[in-house]
Amino acid sequence: MNGRWLLRRILSSLFVLAAVLVLNFLLFRLMPGDAVSTIIDPSFSPEAKANLRALYGLDRPLWEQFVIYVRQMLTFRFGLSFLSRKPVWDELLSRLPVTLTLTVSSMAISAALGIWLGVKAAVERGKLAERLVLRAGAVTSSFPGFFVQLVLLMLFARALPIFPLRGTLSVPPPDGFFNVLLDYGWHMALPVISLSLMGFGGWALYVRNLMVRALNEDFALMARARGLSRRRVLWHAFRTILPPILTIFLMSIPGLVSGAVITESVFSLHGIGTFLLEAISGSDYPSAGASFYLLALITVSCNLLADVAYGLVDPRVRVGGESR
Amino acid sequence: MTAALAALLLSLGAAAGADEAAGIDINKIRGPKIRELSMLIITNPDAQIMAAEAGELDVLGDITRPSDIDRLSGSKELTLSLARGMHAFFLLLNNEAFPWDDPVVRRAAAMSIDRGSIVRMIFSGYCEPINSWLPPVSPWALANSTQDIYDPEAARKLLSDNGYLPDIAGRLTAPDGRPFPTMKILTPLARMAPTTAELAELIADSLNAVGFPVETEPMDFSTMIARLDRKEYMLAVLAWSMGRNPDSLYSFYHSEMNVEGGYNMTGISDPRLDGALKRLRFAPDRKSAETASEEAQRLLLELMPSVPVYSRISVAAISNKWKNIFTTDKITADNIWTLLTAEPRDGKMRPMTMLLPEEPRNLNPFTASSAYSWQVLGMIYESLLGTNPYTLENMPAIAESWEVRTAGSGESAHTELIFTIKRGLRWSDGSPLTARDAAASIGFIKENKPPRFFDSVKNVRSAEAAGDHTLRVVMNGVSYWYLDNIAGLPCFPEKTLAEIKDWQSWTPLDEKETHGPAGLLGSGPFTLKSYRAGEYVLMERNPHYRLLGEEAK
Repeated sequence: MNGRWLLRRILSSLFVLAAVLVLNFLLFRLMPGDAVSTIIDPSFSPEAKANLRALYGLDRPLWEQFVIYVRQMLTFRFGLSFLSRKPVWDELLSRLPVTLTLTVSSMAISAALGIWLGVKAAVERGKLAERLVLRAGAVTSSFPGFFVQLVLLMLFARALPIFPLRGTLSVPPPDGFFNVLLDYGWHMALPVISLSLMGFGGWALYVRNLMVRALNEDFALMARARGLSRRRVLWHAFRTILPPILTIFLMSIPGLVSGAVITESVFSLHGIGTFLLEAISGSDYPSAGASFYLLALITVSCNLLADVAYGLVDPRVRVGGESR
Repeated sequence: MTAALAALLLSLGAAAGADEAAGIDINKIRGPKIRELSMLIITNPDAQIMAAEAGELDVLGDITRPSDIDRLSGSKELTLSLARGMHAFFLLLNNEAFPWDDPVVRRAAAMSIDRGSIVRMIFSGYCEPINSWLPPVSPWALANSTQDIYDPEAARKLLSDNGYLPDIAGRLTAPDGRPFPTMKILTPLARMAPTTAELAELIADSLNAVGFPVETEPMDFSTMIARLDRKEYMLAVLAWSMGRNPDSLYSFYHSEMNVEGGYNMTGISDPRLDGALKRLRFAPDRKSAETASEEAQRLLLELMPSVPVYSRISVAAISNKWKNIFTTDKITADNIWTLLTAEPRDGKMRPMTMLLPEEPRNLNPFTASSAYSWQVLGMIYESLLGTNPYTLENMPAIAESWEVRTAGSGESAHTELIFTIKRGLRWSDGSPLTARDAAASIGFIKENKPPRFFDSVKNVRSAEAAGDHTLRVVMNGVSYWYLDNIAGLPCFPEKTLAEIKDWQSWTPLDEKETHGPAGLLGSGPFTLKSYRAGEYVLMERNPHYRLLGEEAK
């Protein structure tokens, strides 16, 4: 990796971000209607609507709105949400803990479980364990998330009331930090389990395929011929599949937020996913604009990070024509 | 469940509710009996139903899906309460475009729609066909507002008598030989509004059967509204919630409202209707308003600018663990009166839990616009007058009596509203509530023009307190409805209003708030105890509420 390549990569990332910035503004404004036009209330006259439009700044010329928008995005001061009249940043920050808990936990669980099962299936090739992993993986990753989560909610929150039906806290919340933490964990368990359940299958199938290929490589045959233990052979093979795993891991991070939309809706969670949904359906330009901008920023950063990390973890990969 | 059974349920529910409520004289109600009210935020409709079944919710209002109503009606833990609602569903016709520019064709279309099938097939009977532009529950609606006028034979005859004949393929042609074009019914996407999309299909079938070449065109809701606004449509289906008063007819059917952002989406323009609606809007007294309302509704029946289809029945579920539930044939159990009267059946006092189906994201009363924010704010703030749950007419609240006087003519014509404020009222912090607070509230709204209240105060000339108990509001021009405009405004303490530096940025629940005072100070039955975004809103009984009995105080 050299500095020139990195600079080129950063510049192309900035170009992508700039394009997203412009499209983000234009697409919302080009759509027919706005946050005011869908109000159908006879006690809200056209004059009152014009008043509201002025309050939202929608009466200003488009270029002026664009200048304000770009300034807001670049300074990370996203303005006030049309719907809540609160700063968008505050709204996002208040919702971040739930989304982070949900996505990070489920990502960690599904990745760990999926990788372990994938390796197991590769090692136990042709046996019952492999068949079980392949079928479980195919089933869990192909069912629609909404359906699975609703069924889990009905089974484990209604029929067998092991988990709560909604939210992240009991009403009234328990006293003491430790009790609140336990209560939070109890509320988040079912959403995290459901998301992990739907996620591990994809990991298992992917890792199993990579491991099968790696274990058939010459270096694995050589290692076995040299009398290395089964565990060491596996470790060597696993190390060779780390770069694609890391890439997949980093590339799936941006999708976590959009994937959280359904989970947060089903379990009535106050997260960024539902915020995004409300912002789009309510034509809340500041909230939707900020959410998509941040999402684009995360995506571009993760892509850049994946490129850099790939080169770091795999010594065979060199970019920019440099070779040793 | 069949339509007949649902109709029976409606009559039983209303009757049972009325019996229970009939035993309660609203003037003698003292409450709230409950000390705390937990409003749980559950956004998933399936989880809402499960929470009610599991006993986590005591009150669940606005149940709309027939499958949910059927499911909850089987629960032994819950009682359903049904009442006629304010909701109405219409088929909009573009009155400016051929063939809908002829009232004969519009009337024939109205007779072609099989409302009975719609009520049975889509709503399992939990709605009623309407032939009215006001909800049947409104005291102003005409007597035959729920008449099902479906009669395809009569529709064909009406058309042929006026020269509209079907061609060889069955498609209608105008007397001048022009064939009816293929017309699209604009409808929201099925994944966003499945019932409406299905309904549009049934309406299209009904119209096709009489020779109207009609198809459906599903689209994004915002796109649909934009096209209605620009009159780029032939037919559309749309539902809205109507107020109890008929003056809203002016907004929907007067030609002056056929402007960008106006609600005359059908484009109807008829001098007789305009005259009647103007007389209704600016009626000097109740009698004139009644005459004009009837005249306008009869003209609407004749002109048929849009086709009323059905009105949904409001359904609420309430846990049997509570007694003294208040319902009438006009309101379901999830009302403010129930919150005053309800007591645990076992005598062990506990918080009542109620559903909040969406996040009340904004609790600044000047900028909050969502129904969910006002579900909370409506418990904290009161207005000068309330609504009688039996008649839906005005009744005393902060004001114990009121008087409407009109005087002058032409430019100097004005309306004087005089309210007598009850004695001994207090804000939730114990400070006295006087006419000066009410005058300051109207003045603040008039000066700052928050969009939600803008229409109510735009004609206010002055609002003054004469002593502690008399409020005098002078309005420019004459209108019977000015009373409702002013009497429906929430009242705020004068001292709070004086402290607000920026009403738009005021976040009253933020303890570090600098744009105005922290906290919400009202005179309603409850005060806000705590609010956790995405989780719950906890309310506690206002110790100074005007209807709180001496015992509770």
